[in-house]
Amino acid sequence: MSVGESLLDRFEQRVVPLLDDAYTLARHLMRDEHDAQDVVQEAYLRAWRYFAGFRGGDERAWLLTIVRNCCYTWRRSHSSNSSVPFDDEQHSGEERNRYAADARAIDDSERGALASALDALPREFREVLVLREIDGLSYREIAGITGTPVGTVMSRLARGRERLKRALKRTA
Amino acid sequence: MTESLHSTHESLSAYVDGELSPADATSVARHLATCAHCAAEYQIMLDTVSLLRSELERFTAPDVLRARIRGAIATTPTEPMTDSPTLAVAPSTARRSVRSFARPAAWAAALLLAAALGSGVTLLASSGNRGTNTTADQVLASHVRSLMPDHLTDVRSSDQHNVKPWFNGRLDFSPTVPRLEEQGFPLVGGRVDYIGGRPVAAVVYSRRQHLINVFSWPSTDHAEGLTASTANGYNLLHWRAGGTERWVVSDLNAAELRGLITLLQRSDSAGRPLGS
Repeated sequence: MSVGESLLDRFEQRVVPLLDDAYTLARHLMRDEHDAQDVVQEAYLRAWRYFAGFRGGDERAWLLTIVRNCCYTWRRSHSSNSSVPFDDEQHSGEERNRYAADARAIDDSERGALASALDALPREFREVLVLREIDGLSYREIAGITGTPVGTVMSRLARGRERLKRALKRTA
Repeated sequence: MTESLHSTHESLSAYVDGELSPADATSVARHLATCAHCAAEYQIMLDTVSLLRSELERFTAPDVLRARIRGAIATTPTEPMTDSPTLAVAPSTARRSVRSFARPAAWAAALLLAAALGSGVTLLASSGNRGTNTTADQVLASHVRSLMPDHLTDVRSSDQHNVKPWFNGRLDFSPTVPRLEEQGFPLVGGRVDYIGGRPVAAVVYSRRQHLINVFSWPSTDHAEGLTASTANGYNLLHWRAGGTERWVVSDLNAAELRGLITLLQRSDSAGRPLGS
């Protein structure tokens, strides 16, 4: 068999333990438990297929890049048959239907105010907030994962924090 | 940045993160020392960031996702000479295969096939005799199958007085179902499974996000001490005592699993379920 045992062992030891990080990013980006699971599975399969070519470095940043990219391609390729009501992100710019998302978030009284406020943000804000506040990555690492300049990471993070702060103040 | 100007949210945000250049950081620090307005803004920024760091939700991946991933990996070859895929992730053939794996039956079948072929997955680190290996394979397969939606339990209850009687009439023996909730292993339920061509009891416990299958069936073979092995990321523990064959399988770490074994063995030797 072509699958070397040591490669699988290395994958088990270095990549599989990052599953919670991968799943957390996918949950926040997809905002749906089942989509997040499908995306993470695809990301892991992709990571595994290319693991032998991984040149070393930070496995977590590498894996999160794959997860993040899978979230984006997943949204695009499943938009036609998706029943998820987040069509704002599928059919228009990230910013445009923010207020509809706000309204949904406020309706969602089951969840915490912060979780709802985060869900209501456009995806490019959610990803920098998750990568910084939860994963503790540097601006440079986030820039690498999101494929944006460091300056963009800096401004999105500042604006994302500001928006969450305002949203929490409103609900308080 | 000019010191006389108020600090922007952006510079305060980056200042909190320690991501400003040394020159910019110095100038913000100087300004904060003399401007009450910006010092107050800085405090608000600090509070916001600390709130977000502690309160933004961290999710724990469900066991079933872990099992799905392991199943998919076990049947997928790597592509040794290819570069990292992160720069160009396009919808590909991988999607089709992942969608088929998303169907429980498909990936379970694939996993079982992979186990049968031994493709890159060493099923038992400590090899026993052939018969033991076969049983271990089946126990592991049963555990993985049980992680699929709606396959975990036939009777779902945290009360041993519901679970234990449920086995009556379904098995030719009466498995012990100790109550171990106070010891940190809440009972989830039970089901009947087939191992080695005979019906066996599977009693399911949980610990945090982990599920633990405890298999038991009567055996006339001589007693055997506890042996531990790992397969495909799962811990398998086996022993035979008092005419009962026991297998415990979980992705819970080995140390905590041994804690459960001790409790089970104590319950067996007491001759009655704990807590009853």
